[in-house]
Amino acid sequence: MIELRGVSKTVMSGDRPLTILKPLDVIIPSGQFVAIVGPSGSGKSTLLGLLAGLDAPSSGSITVDGTDITNLDEDGLARLRGEKIGFVFQFFHLVPSLTALENILVPMEIAGRRDAMSRARQLLDEVELSDRGHHYPSQLSGGEQQRIAIARALANDPPILLADEPTGNLDTSTGQHILDLLLGVHRARKSTLILVTHDADLAALADERLVLRDGTRVYPSAEVLR
Amino acid sequence: MNFILRMAWREIRASWHRLLFFFICIAIGVASIVAIRSVIQGVRVALAAEAQAVLAADFIISSNRPFTENVLKTIAAEEQAGRVTARAETIEVSTMVRPADAGKVVTKMAELRGVEPAFPFYGRMVLREGQYSHAMLKGHGAIVRPELLAQLGVAVGDTLLIGNSEFEIRGVVTSEPGRRLGAFTLGPRIFIDRQDVEATGLLGFGSRSNREILLKVREADVVSLLPRLRAAFANDFARVRSYRASEDDLGEDLTRTENYLSLVGLVVLILGGIGVSSVTRVFVQQKIKSIAILKCLGGTSPQVLAVYMSQVLALGLAGSLLGVALAGGALAAVPSVLGELTTLLPVDYSLTPGAVVQGLAVGVLVSLLFSIVPLLEVRLVKPSLLLRQDIPSSPKFDWLKWGVTGVVATALVGVASWQAGSIVVGLVLSGGFVAVAFVLHLAGLALIRAVQPLRYSKSFALRQAVLHVARPGNQTRVILLAVGLGTFFILGVQSLQANLLRDFSLQAGPDAPDMFLMDIQADQTEALARFVDDANGTAPAPRVIPTLRARVVGVQGQEIDLENYQEVRRRGGMSREYTVTYRPALQSNESLVAGEWWGDTPVTPETAEVSIEEAFINRDNDDRREPEDAPAQAGPSRINVGDRMQFDVLGRIITARVASVRHVEWQDFRSGGFMFVFRPGSFGDAPHSFISTLQGPADADERLRMQVALVGRFPNVSIVDLREVLQTIQGIVQNVTLAVTVVGGLVLFSGILILIGAVSMTKFRRVYEAAILKTLGATSRLIATMLLLEYGVLGAIAGTVGALGAIALSWAVARFALELSWAATPGITISGIVITTLLVALIGVLASLDVLRNKPLSTLRAE
Repeated sequence: MIELRGVSKTVMSGDRPLTILKPLDVIIPSGQFVAIVGPSGSGKSTLLGLLAGLDAPSSGSITVDGTDITNLDEDGLARLRGEKIGFVFQFFHLVPSLTALENILVPMEIAGRRDAMSRARQLLDEVELSDRGHHYPSQLSGGEQQRIAIARALANDPPILLADEPTGNLDTSTGQHILDLLLGVHRARKSTLILVTHDADLAALADERLVLRDGTRVYPSAEVLR
Repeated sequence: MNFILRMAWREIRASWHRLLFFFICIAIGVASIVAIRSVIQGVRVALAAEAQAVLAADFIISSNRPFTENVLKTIAAEEQAGRVTARAETIEVSTMVRPADAGKVVTKMAELRGVEPAFPFYGRMVLREGQYSHAMLKGHGAIVRPELLAQLGVAVGDTLLIGNSEFEIRGVVTSEPGRRLGAFTLGPRIFIDRQDVEATGLLGFGSRSNREILLKVREADVVSLLPRLRAAFANDFARVRSYRASEDDLGEDLTRTENYLSLVGLVVLILGGIGVSSVTRVFVQQKIKSIAILKCLGGTSPQVLAVYMSQVLALGLAGSLLGVALAGGALAAVPSVLGELTTLLPVDYSLTPGAVVQGLAVGVLVSLLFSIVPLLEVRLVKPSLLLRQDIPSSPKFDWLKWGVTGVVATALVGVASWQAGSIVVGLVLSGGFVAVAFVLHLAGLALIRAVQPLRYSKSFALRQAVLHVARPGNQTRVILLAVGLGTFFILGVQSLQANLLRDFSLQAGPDAPDMFLMDIQADQTEALARFVDDANGTAPAPRVIPTLRARVVGVQGQEIDLENYQEVRRRGGMSREYTVTYRPALQSNESLVAGEWWGDTPVTPETAEVSIEEAFINRDNDDRREPEDAPAQAGPSRINVGDRMQFDVLGRIITARVASVRHVEWQDFRSGGFMFVFRPGSFGDAPHSFISTLQGPADADERLRMQVALVGRFPNVSIVDLREVLQTIQGIVQNVTLAVTVVGGLVLFSGILILIGAVSMTKFRRVYEAAILKTLGATSRLIATMLLLEYGVLGAIAGTVGALGAIALSWAVARFALELSWAATPGITISGIVITTLLVALIGVLASLDVLRNKPLSTLRAE
């Protein structure tokens, strides 16, 4: 379970403070599919980054499976991500100097898993790219890169999967393929899936919709959402 | 650990070519260190193996005068006691030799060595053909160095005229024991029988001979005999050396040489280190996204830091191994480069384990130390930048970074001290580097400011080039340091060489004497002057200068016990034997500092007068400060005009009043120079010899004929041909210049590699900018012009800074170390700046060809 209590984020814009996220209270039970929606600049990606411990909140606390991650240092957060969180970015963010297979291997090697290689090959199979393992990211299409990123996010079987507009940089059919993959994983592994999206149809599939506007959670009617 | 090593390997695989140039720099530095240390360690091993052969004996007792009764009796007693098991006497004297065949008109200065049958006790005489035995020397036989054969145009079986006697050449010696490596010689060696030396007539009055008694000593007594003999000969002007002591002295000299030369390698290595530091900084900037991804995937800062640290270590080790391989190749080439020199000492020119270990350790250490501070930036990379384009912010005061910087600085001083074998030298070298880097940095900043007005130039390309030079994060600093330092070394040395050679040619002007005649006897002066006049024709008449040997034995009534050899050693410069003269007038290179010059009237030995050179006063006062524990009131005061000094001249004590103090321009050797000049009559009728300076015939053949005729007529007279000496000195200067130019070239080469590396590393920015400019309508030609101007400006700044430093360097060395008059060398300075500018511009453009070739769309998409 993920629990946010009074979480806010303020950054300095020049010499003036700018509040990106106003104090927010949210509870996300384990195994749920949550869609975070809202217009650009509403604080969606910031919220996702805070949930992953990629950034620290300016106030409030975030508890992930009983651990208050706001009390963890950078290395503690890194270890937590390695164990519990898989992250899929809009711009894939694969390591350009590593092959597709090696990109999948990295989180498992950091965790010290002995079966890293066989698991990486199995994941390559699952994303239907077993013949592309030796290719570098620059040799893959956008959709292929995103499938590798998903395989990498799943490498350590994390109970929480975070995705920041995973289809935002892809054409419609490739985007649909990626969504099918993510939802399939969520259903098959019963993992928590928190997904930032602009796609209202996709959001409608979620167990819960978290709508942000100007850094505040709003509760629009079901009609509007649809 | 598994992850760290695997990631390090993958990163090397992806980016080794970007770091290649910097690790070649490490390789060159390591190669220098390993090669220099290996050669010297090889020499040391060879010397240790042949320590006895270097002396040819266990002990050598040497003197420049006949051995006293005390010396001979003491040695006889040691022989009787069984401590000395064998003895042999040798005598060395420099002389002119020529073929006995009157048809061969050639004469040469040679070093004659008369040896007894037992010589040598250790080592062996290596002949070009056959085996050496003393029997070859019996009955006026001679064994000569091969170069003498060539110089005189003679062969084995021919006869040489040495002094008054003829000697048949019976062998050619290629290697001899008892010959010091690199010892200065006036000419090639000739061996004859000790008993025949007297017959040559070369040991007469005034000759400069060196006599040696070689002893073979029972092994158990080698250590105890040295102090006993030294004490016994304390008053006999006999110097005692043992092979053990020589070995120790040589060992110390070699250690010092090894350490100092290795600093050259360290300088190159540190330059490479500076390159490593700057490339690591750029490398981390390029890897920020990958670092953020690794952190996002669970990698901790220490793990990520360890990945890049391992990468640097691996490449540092690879660079160092490459350096060892390069050193191995260089060493393999040494014997063919040295040629005949290698026969002097059989040295094994191969890598020594000690040198290899040191080279590897220093290479890896320098790579690590110079990269660790920039690598610490890895800690500051936040994974959140994958969501927002955050710029990593530095803490207000990064304690860890400054703490590590302190540790790195201390470690670098440690490495320099280790290599130099001295903490002081290590500190000076590190401090010097920081100072030079700081000066280059400041000068670079000043020059960058100076070119700023060009940013308003009408030329778009020039405007952009000037803006690029001054933009933050560019490679200006590293290029200035690397190229500037290389230019500084090379131009400094070239300018110094030009000044040295100019000084030599000034001294050897058309009116200067170019031949010295030595050991002329009193009854030969007139005949010799006539002879030279006849032979020379129109040249100025030769000057004949009387010379005597004298030692200072008392100053101002206080006797200095210089009969005691220990006291002589302690007194150093003051106590040595001086060649003195007498004359009625000052020479053109002399000026009076104090007192008055005497008139033409001679004096008697009872009223003798002397004029001393001003340097002696300072030296004398320095000498008299010792020993430090002497009572303060016992120290005599400075020598002044009117004081009395006592001299031992051939055993006779002459007391002379100091009439004046002179300043001598020593560099102007046309008029010679003497520390002590006496008033005529001061020595009464004491026997003395003469030297003569003259201008020989300009034509080489005529000159040779004159020398042959002179030696034929006056066999005891030695000729030093200054033309040959000058050629030798010029040869030495050229060799030293070549050696230092090679070092400077090595530094410049490293600088060029760093330049190529720096351009390649920062190319990613240029590629992107060029893509934008191309979409805005810039042609490849315009971009190439921009690059050419940017690197041209950088090259001009680096060249100017280096050239200005070189002027300061050559001025300081000429003025303070060599005491030469200094003149600017505008040709060298200007051509140095122009060549550096062109070189940097060319390399800058060639290393940026991608920038010109890449299609803009692919570049913009990649961003």
